Amino acid sequence: MALNAAAEVDRTLAALADPNRRRVVELLAQRPRAAGELARELGVSAPAMSRHLKSLRAGGLVEESHPEFDARVRIYALRPEPMVHLLRWLEESERLWSEQLAAFKAHLERDA
Amino acid sequence: MTSKVFVALRVRAGPARAFAAFVGEIGAWWRPNTLFQTTPRPPGRLSFEPLAGELGEGGRLVETLANGKVFEIGRILAWEPPERLVFSWRQASFPPDLSTEVEVRFEAVGEETRVSVEHRGFDRVPAGSAARHGFPDALLLQRLAEWWRDLLEGLAARA
Repeated sequence: MALNAAAEVDRTLAALADPNRRRVVELLAQRPRAAGELARELGVSAPAMSRHLKSLRAGGLVEESHPEFDARVRIYALRPEPMVHLLRWLEESERLWSEQLAAFKAHLERDA
Repeated sequence: MTSKVFVALRVRAGPARAFAAFVGEIGAWWRPNTLFQTTPRPPGRLSFEPLAGELGEGGRLVETLANGKVFEIGRILAWEPPERLVFSWRQASFPPDLSTEVEVRFEAVGEETRVSVEHRGFDRVPAGSAARHGFPDALLLQRLAEWWRDLLEGLAARA
């Protein structure tokens, strides 16, 4: 769990190391959008947007779907899981340190 | 919820004794923890080792495994007995350029000591990764970290 989470966190951060991709995440946090709409909002070309969306998909941050009425249209939505991973990892870390400090206290006070 | 970990408790000992035991007896009190194991191998014994002579900055926190191999968890970054100790923390599973750090403080409270641990850096974009992605500016990195923290707080508020 901790191993996978660490790798996932790194992939997530790599996907976010670009201002355009962060803007995409912000837009998708409001609601799902089509690739064309995202390209217009950011003022970038369709191929450039396609590359950014590919990075974000690889980082697990967005997912793609097609509306039922048109298989050619791709709708992108934000996936919360990568952030949940980071949160869970921090929680595990906190639990670890609580346990270690409790063990430290027990050790110290046993000797006293 | 922030992207660092902070825990604290009080021990019945003075800061000097607490600091000495934290560092010198870590092999005796540390509890191996599968949730956060430092290497994929069965847990070993932790110890702080001096760079040369006495313990201090530049010394290492290592784990000696059952097979005799030694894994370096981190280096001592600040050595201010009996008040403060900072060391870097890496697990074998971390990407090579992700480094976190642990700060331990010992504050006298009457005859006791409040021991606090802050583990931070999980939200830090490794400088190497940033450069690889054409994003080397330190100020931008900091903004990314802040942005990331805001996103996490938003998420935690919804959860």
